[in-house]
This record gives sequence, structure tokens and C-alpha cells, in this order.
Amino acid sequence: MISIERSLVTPRWQRIALPIASLFIASIIAGIVLAVSGHDPIGTYQQIYDASFTSAGALTATFVYATPLLFTGLAVALAFRMRVWNIGGEGQLYMGAVGASGVGLLLGGWPQPLLILMMMLGGGLAGLLWAMIPGLLRAYLRTNEILVSLMLNYVAGLFMYYLIYDSTSFWRDTTSASALVFPQGKDLLPAADWPGIAVGSFTMPFGFIAGGVFAVALLALIRFTRFGFEMRVMGDSSAAANYAGIRTRRTIVTVMALSGAMAGLGGASQIGDFGHVLDPRGLQQAGYGYTGIVVAALAMYNPLAVVIVSILIGALTNAGFALQGPTFPIGLVGTMEGIILFSVLGGEFLGRYRIRFGRAPEPAPSVDDEAGAEVAR
Amino acid sequence: MNVDVVVSVAVSAIAYGTPLVLAGLGELLAERSGVLNLGVEGMMLIGAVTAFFASQVLPGPGWAVLIAAIVAAAAAGAALALIHAFLSITVRVNQIVSGLALTIFAGTIGLSSYAGQVWGVGGQHGLHQLVKLDVLGLSGVPIVGPILFNQDAFVYASWGLVALVTYYLYHTRFGLYLRAVGESPRSADAMGINVSRYRYVHTIVGGAFAGLGGAYFTLAIAPIWTDGLTAGAGWIAIALVIFAFWRPGLLVVGAYLFGALSSLGFTLQANGVQLPSELFSSLPYVMTVVVLAVASTTMAQRRIGTPAALGVPYVREEG
Amino acid sequence: MDSRAARVSAASAESATAGSPPAVAAVGVTKRFAGGVVANDRVSFEARSGEVHALLGENGAGKTTLCNILTGLYRPDEGEVRVNGNPVRLHSPHEAQAAGIFMVHQHLSLVDSLTVAENVVLGWSRHGGLGFSARTVEAEIEEIASRYQMAVDPRARIWQLSLGQRQRVDILKALYRGASILILDEPTTVLTPSEIEQLFSSVREMVAGGRTVIFISHKLPEVFAIADRTTILRRGRSMSTLEIAATDARQLARLMVGHEMSFDVHPRATSVESEPAPAVPPVLAMDGVHVRGDFGIDALKDLSLAISAGEILGIAGVSGNGQRELAEVVAGLRPFSRGTIRIGGENVVSGDPRDAINRGVANIPEDRMGTGVSPNLSVAENLILKSYRSSSPHAGPVLLMRQAEAQATALMARFDIRAPSPRTLVRQLSGGNVQKVVLARELSSGPRLVIAASPTRGLDVGATEYVRSVLVDAAKQGAAIMLISEDLDEIVELSDRIAVLYEGRVVGVVDAATANYEQLGLMMAGATS
Repeated sequence: MISIERSLVTPRWQRIALPIASLFIASIIAGIVLAVSGHDPIGTYQQIYDASFTSAGALTATFVYATPLLFTGLAVALAFRMRVWNIGGEGQLYMGAVGASGVGLLLGGWPQPLLILMMMLGGGLAGLLWAMIPGLLRAYLRTNEILVSLMLNYVAGLFMYYLIYDSTSFWRDTTSASALVFPQGKDLLPAADWPGIAVGSFTMPFGFIAGGVFAVALLALIRFTRFGFEMRVMGDSSAAANYAGIRTRRTIVTVMALSGAMAGLGGASQIGDFGHVLDPRGLQQAGYGYTGIVVAALAMYNPLAVVIVSILIGALTNAGFALQGPTFPIGLVGTMEGIILFSVLGGEFLGRYRIRFGRAPEPAPSVDDEAGAEVAR
Repeated sequence: MNVDVVVSVAVSAIAYGTPLVLAGLGELLAERSGVLNLGVEGMMLIGAVTAFFASQVLPGPGWAVLIAAIVAAAAAGAALALIHAFLSITVRVNQIVSGLALTIFAGTIGLSSYAGQVWGVGGQHGLHQLVKLDVLGLSGVPIVGPILFNQDAFVYASWGLVALVTYYLYHTRFGLYLRAVGESPRSADAMGINVSRYRYVHTIVGGAFAGLGGAYFTLAIAPIWTDGLTAGAGWIAIALVIFAFWRPGLLVVGAYLFGALSSLGFTLQANGVQLPSELFSSLPYVMTVVVLAVASTTMAQRRIGTPAALGVPYVREEG
Repeated sequence: MDSRAARVSAASAESATAGSPPAVAAVGVTKRFAGGVVANDRVSFEARSGEVHALLGENGAGKTTLCNILTGLYRPDEGEVRVNGNPVRLHSPHEAQAAGIFMVHQHLSLVDSLTVAENVVLGWSRHGGLGFSARTVEAEIEEIASRYQMAVDPRARIWQLSLGQRQRVDILKALYRGASILILDEPTTVLTPSEIEQLFSSVREMVAGGRTVIFISHKLPEVFAIADRTTILRRGRSMSTLEIAATDARQLARLMVGHEMSFDVHPRATSVESEPAPAVPPVLAMDGVHVRGDFGIDALKDLSLAISAGEILGIAGVSGNGQRELAEVVAGLRPFSRGTIRIGGENVVSGDPRDAINRGVANIPEDRMGTGVSPNLSVAENLILKSYRSSSPHAGPVLLMRQAEAQATALMARFDIRAPSPRTLVRQLSGGNVQKVVLARELSSGPRLVIAASPTRGLDVGATEYVRSVLVDAAKQGAAIMLISEDLDEIVELSDRIAVLYEGRVVGVVDAATANYEQLGLMMAGATS
């Protein structure tokens, strides 16, 4: 008889080899899909690689797509590790964009370094506060944070729309010529543009560097601080955390706050690094918050891995838009991303379990057995 | 505000709401079994493009083509849902991640767009469309006529499905077992109910319904296909199910309410009332959060009927 | 007296029909589990139709295993089960139910949001077919309920019902599906006294119709109130089957716990008696404490006890009488609603584990893997699970893991924890080593009070000896120790005094040196008058 049982130990090599193997399998499956629908697999992959990394301006464009994913991916990696299911990154990013653009418009005249700092603070704070709603509700009322954070995504989206398309708010551009034709947000002053670091012909956005710093900081937080220790215990066994005297409710709220701040910073980066204007439609179509969840999952919720995965997914997205045309369907992007995800998720299954032949021995009954607890067979 | 306005709001609410009802019913069934499916948007898009493609290439009389297209859409949605079901139930992957993976896989820049291009249906004009019927010749009746008797077959089918799902849930054995599976899989298992099977079946059926909801776009609302046609309807359906607290009757009300609210905002403004439409549109979501928060004691949760095991993989304890 | 006389005559009527085979029987049943545990050792048991048969025994006696075999959850390694004299092979609860054998467990499997009627037909229908007519089922339930005096509203939802009413639903489920042999597992744990009376009258109705009721219990007063015959199990063996009318509490208690002291039990209490009692306040003083249990009933009622420094107080009792809640309330994991708990003379904060930890309370929990350790963290990390806030190596908010690992290595040597390195994940360790990690963490901080709940359960002989010696050492160092254990021998061997818990109260405290098993057994079974 064949039974599948949980493997106790995942050797370290397996933890890295498995995703790589999955990626390899994913590229084969995607290649088959391509071939079947009349495209040349190898050629397409070459095109993608070229458009993501090597052709002129490709790397810069890749980082444009990677930066928001880095932030939202970090937000989710932090929360999901602790089994706090924050799927409100989308809304937290929107609020972060609102906060940062508001600050940027308000403090337009300030010296640039200070202005950038304030924009980051504004965006991070807005995201943090938005995330505190589901965080507090979960910690103190035990409300399901999946449902609440999801609902708040819609509310945040509608709020953004209201600011730009349906009101004469501070954020809305009411004067310029194009704004009279179609509603749009106020442009931020050039001083509010976040600088990019130029390396040869490639420019890395300030936001990505900041995000990378945050990734390292988060990793350090989780691994080296006492608070990170509490997080890890809580994420592993909430009963043990309670037993150890860890203040679980405070920890949940803090993690949600940090997570929201990360997503909010992603929104701030959208304003400071790229658009320089609050663009609700663009943000909603991009879906960075939801994609961030997938990025974090692929990265196995490790902050440093999130950096790498965000570049990968950013590269794929960039290539898709850059190559889009009659010979290169944009639909390939999502299809390939999906295949990668399914392969990695499915591959994790193989890593977690092992197949045993023969009948597994019955374990000894515990005292619960004597106390009459049910034992399902 | 005169009667004509009310009627037109109602009619547009129904048009807006029908795909939500269909996809929402599917999501309701899946969530009742304990599986959260965030891939609805992707399944709707796949359904939409599949239905359109089928209606363009299949030969035969209009009604037969339409039926075949609808079936194809349902099958496509179900196939996608099978992936989600396998990942969530058997592999026991995080359901949030799995559902989102599906939305990305099949979504606006995913498989639905890819299929659209491979099948070459973008920019084509639809050959077959559902037409508004004149039921019992009553569509001329004031007020009720346009609302109740002048809809297309899909709308009537959606009403039928709501009744069917309601009956299924509350008056059949299997609906009872379904409710037990979502509420307490351990108890259901102890009673000999196959939890896995229920979850698989209802997730897949949920996908089929989502496909149907998508088909409504290309077969009834507008006879074209573009990427991302559903524009977030799948996400609204997910919110709707929670707003309706997993009850089909409230789901229908909610779907039409959402539709009415979004057109109501514009209507009010046209009549000089200066309230932003987004305020109205956000009310259902805010209300849902409030109710969820207030009803967070276990007692109240029982009354609401949140499937207690929603999103949690069921692992039968060893030994 | 009246009921006894009635049952004596019933018993003699029974013997008149002694030719008919028993309704259900286990013949020579043996059941072994992994790890060498023999839960049932050639157990023979039979229950007749029309009788209430009590299965008596303390923890680990094998009662539940035997019943799990009768209901098809387990298959016996040797021996067989017979129904009405015919051997049957029961491969699943469904087959047992088809044979008419149903069990009502302590932990009910009801779905809260559904109605009584819906729960009763869950997974099985008398009528078959697609439809589910609530009205028909409700009428059928009402009919059964009134016949057996188990009034319950079939339209009520489970969350609206009290525990006693929920139990009735579970019993109704079995009756609705045609139970002829009904096994009730410690049913009175969740009932009020008046509900117990109602249950008993319902049971009498059931057996009057020819059914068999097997009643698992450890509470002698109840056994005498309801049972016709009883079988006593001890350590996996069936000791004896007796007519209730022909026995008394002392005999049953003796059979349950054994009247000889085992030869390898050396109570340490003898060394303590000669010391004069110092006039120091006890380390732990509990006074009139009430604790709410998980299902809304009081798990501890008006509980008072005290433990002095250097003393080991053993808490004896059949599991389910409040031991778990007692450990939790002293450790701050569960709030208490009335009374006071003082540690070192100061009142503790109710329900705050951090407060307890700060007061020097160490807790070796019953569920070591689920509560006592964080399984996917390393040995070193588990060793600083509580001390990371205060004494572990840290510089401000930063944890210095390298130093922590060095300290862990030292602790591992001192407590004989066998693991490749301090970085090994705890879930990879054997049960004994996991317990040693818990011990090392809890005892190395020099605690004032140690709560040890079932500390040697599931451990091999070597680990068991080690754990016991460590606890005795801690007492010698001046800690007060609350030893909660289901192993009476262990309690007698290690304790200075023994308190017996029954139904959430301390029903007696005795000196371990002068304790005798019969007396303890009587107290554990609630038979002290």
C-alpha cells in the first residue's frame, strides 16, 4: 500500500534545488504551449531575455516593474510568515500613493532629500494606518483579516477614484489644459522626483535601492532581534507563543503595521520614482498588491529572495509589454507566470512529502485517547 | 425623480448584476465548502473568450451555437477551477496564493488574452447574441414590464439558478452535507462525509458558474472581445459573496444593489444631489467590514454563518 | 436502595434467560500500539441486552481502546468481537453502526450552525433520496425524544444548546440510526446534577426496551446509581466482572488501582517526616479558586491547596477532573474567576502567563510538542523561549544567537539532551529529548514553583528515570513542585503529599508515606462520604 507522509526534514540543498528544478520544468511546459500555438520556444525565450535585460533601456524598464513588486512582496512575506493573511497590500499601496503624493504636493518647495524622506514617511504611514484596521480587528476581536483587508482594497480604490475623477480635491489637477478635457491628478514638482542611480546605460530607481535596504533590514529584524524571535515563534506555534508569555495581540498589530507600511512605501515609490502623479486607473490595472502576494509565495516568504523574484517577475512583465505585438501576444506574460507559479507550488508539494510503501505503523494512543477524544481513521 | 428613472436604474442594475450573480453563486458554493477562490476574475475572462470564440466558429442555428458556447464557457471555467482545487485541496497550498496564481495565469495579460490572440477573435464583431425576450407578451406593462418580462434568457436562467442553489442548500441532503463540510469538516468527516470530494466538486462547479458569468459579457452585454473585458467583475463577485453572508437570496439582492448604486450615483448628480458616486459604491464594503467586526464573537459568527473552515486546508489527523 | 433491589430482581430474571448470548462481547482481545504499548491485553468482556454495564478503570486502563475496537475504529491484533454470539469483523465505524453499535464520545462531533434535526441526519438518512424534509425528521426526532425522556427542540441550532442538551442530540443521533448497543464515554463530565438524573432515567428507558448500554466511567457513585454489572479494567487487563448488587465501593476501588504496592516504588516521603515544619509562607497558596473550563462549565470549583518550598505535591485523579485547568491557571494560561492565587505571598494576575513567568513559575506542560516547544525552531531557540526577554544574551533589541548557542551547548550537556547541535530543529528530536529541552529551559532558571503535568508520559524507561530524578533534585534545591500525573505509582513514589482531584475539587490530601491505594482509589472515584 502506498501512503504519503510528511517528511520531517527538508535538507538545505533541497530548499534551493526544488524551486530551480520547478522553474526548469515550467520553462519546458511553457515551451510546449508556445510550440503548440505556433511560436518558436527558443526564439521567444531569447526575445524575452533580450527585452528584459540586454537591449537598450531594458534593464531600466525591468526595474520599473520590479520596484513596486519588491515592496508589496516584502509586505506579504512579512505577514504571511506569521500566518497573518494580509491581502490588503493593494489598498495599502493605493493609500500610500495618496499619502506620498499629498505630501509631495504640499511640501513641494522643501529641499529634495527632506522632501523624499517626507514622501516616504507619508506613504508608509498611510499604508500602515490602512493596515491597522484589519490588524486591530484581528488582534482584539479575532475578525478574519482576509475578508476585512480584501474589502478595504475596494474602499481604497474607490477613494482614489473619488479624489481624482469625482471631486475637486487637493490631488486633482484643475488648471492645466489637458485636465480640462479629462480628469487627472496634479503633477508633482520635479524636486519631488526620486533620483535614480545611473550605472552605465542602466538606471536603478531610488525606490528599489530603498526596498533592498528594507529587505535586509527585515531579514535582520526577523533573524536577529527579540521582536523577530517573537514573530517566528508565533508563526510556528501560537500555543507555544502564548505559553512563553509573548504578547500575541501586540505582535499581530505590529506585523500588520509593518506590512502595511511596506506596501504603502510601494505606493510612495510609484509617485516618487515613476509617475509623479496620482494615477488611480493605472494603479488599479497594474494590480501590484495582488502580484506581490504571488512574488512572496515564490520567494518562500524570504525577504532577500523577494528581491530576486521581484526582478524576475518584473523582467517578464517588462518583456511582455515591450515585445507586445502581432508576433508576441501579451497574454504570454500571464500564462508563463502562471505556469511558473503552478510548477513551484506543485514542486513544493513533492519536497514536503515523501511516499512510503507498505503500511504505516499505528502510533501509540495518547492520553487524549483515554479521555475519549475522537480518532478519525 | 420620476418612474422612468427608477425603471432604467433597475434595468441597468440587472444587466450589471447578472454576471455577478452567476459568478457569485459559484463562489458561494466553493466557499461554503471551505475553499476560498480568488481566481474568479480569471475564470470569468476565460469563459468570456471561450464563449465568444465558440460563437464565432461553430456552425448551425443561432440558438444551438449559443447553447454550445455557454457550455464551452462553463467547461473552460471548470477546467481552471480544477487546477485551483488540486492545488488547494490535495497539495494543500495556501488558497490565497493558488487563487491569485490563477487570476494571473488566466487574467488580463494571461491565458484569456493569449487565447484571444491565438484564436484571432480580437476586434471581431460577434455573430450571435442573446436577445431580449418578450415573456408572455408582458414587456409593455408599465414599470414591471421592462424589468421582469423583457430580459434575455441568461437573466432568467440566473434567476432559476438562484432558486436551484437555494433549494439545494437548504432542502436537500447534499446541501446539508455541504454546509457541514464548510462549517466543521472534522464533524462532517466523522459522519462519513467525504470532505475532499465535496470541496473538489463545489470548487469546480464554482468555476463553471464563473465561466458562465464571463460568457454573459460576450454573448449578451457587448458582442466583442477585448483583453480584460470583465474589468474586475470577478473581484466584485468575491466581495458580494461575503457581503451576502453566503446566502443566495442576499447575493441576488446585493448584485442588483451594487449595480443600482453605481448608476444611482450618476443619476443623483444629474438631479443636483452632490454626493459622489464612490461614496455609494463603497457603502457595501464598509458595511461588510462593520458587520464582520461587530459579529466577531463566536456566538454571532454562528448566526452569520461564516463557513468556519474557510481557507483552511483539511488534514485528517493521523492515527 | 430501591433501585438496587429492583435491579437485583432484574438480574435474577436475566440469569433465567442466561441461555441467550450476550449482545456484544470482546473475547481475548489484544491491541498493541507502536512503541510497545499494550493497550488491551487479552481482554474479555461481555454485555447483555437489557443491561447497563459499567466499564470501570483509571487512566490508561484501556477502556477507550476497547470501545474503539467495539466500534470499528481499531482492529484487534488478537481475539475477536462478537455481536449476539456471532463473530464480526468491524473495519470501520460504519460497519459497527450497521451492526447496531454506536458510541457517544466526550468530544461531540456536532456542527454548531446547523439545527438538531440537520445534525441527526448528517451523513445518513432513513429515507434516502435527494430531498431533505426537515419537518419529517423533526417529527421523528420528537417521537424518539419523548419516548426516552430526552426533550430537545429539533429546530434549535446547536450553538443555542447547553452541553447537556448537545449530548442528548448525540444520543438521539444514535437512537435514530437504530442503535441497539450504545456506548457512553464518561457522559456525566459535562452534566449538571439534574441533567445526570435525566440521563439516567433515559438510559433506563433505553435498556427497558432491550438495548444494551455500556457506560465508561471512573466515578463510583454513578456506577452504583445506574449500572447492573461492571467490568473493571486495569493496565490493559480485565480484572473482574461483578454484579453491582453484590459488591461495594471498597472492592471496586481496590480492583481499579490495585491493593498491593508495586515492589519498585520507593516513596521518598519517608525522609521528610522527621523535619520540623518551618514557619514560612507556602510558595503557592490557592484559596477558593473557580476556573471556567472550555465549554462553559466550571472545571475547578472552590479549589484550595498549598505547596511549600522543597515540597512535591502530587495531584492524583482520573484525567478530566480539572488537572489540565489546574496546571493552566497556575501558569497563567487560563483566567480564574473567584478566589485567590498567591505565589510567594503575592497575588498573581489572572490569566497572564508573563506574570507567572516573572514570578518564577516554571511549567512543564502536558502537551509538550504542541505547547511546550516551537517545533520548527532550533534547540537553542527553544531554550531561550522564555528567557529571551531578560537573561539571555542580547544587546538591547538584538538577540545574540551565537552566545545563546554556546549557552545551549552547556545546557545540552548538563541535561543530557542528545541532538547533533544546538541548531537542530526540535521536531527532529525524540520524545525524551524534547522533554529534556523543556526541562532544561524550565529548571535552569532556578524557579520557585514547578508545574509538571504528565512529565514522563510516552517516554522510555531511561528518560523516565532521568526526568524523575531531575524533579526530585529541583525540590532539593528548594523549588515547590506540583506534580500532576495519571500514573499513581509515580505520584506515590515522588510526592511528599498527595492531593486527589475529583470533579474540580480537592477531595482529600494525604501524606505519601502513609497513603494506601485503596484510600486513594476511593477518593479518585468519588466514593468518599
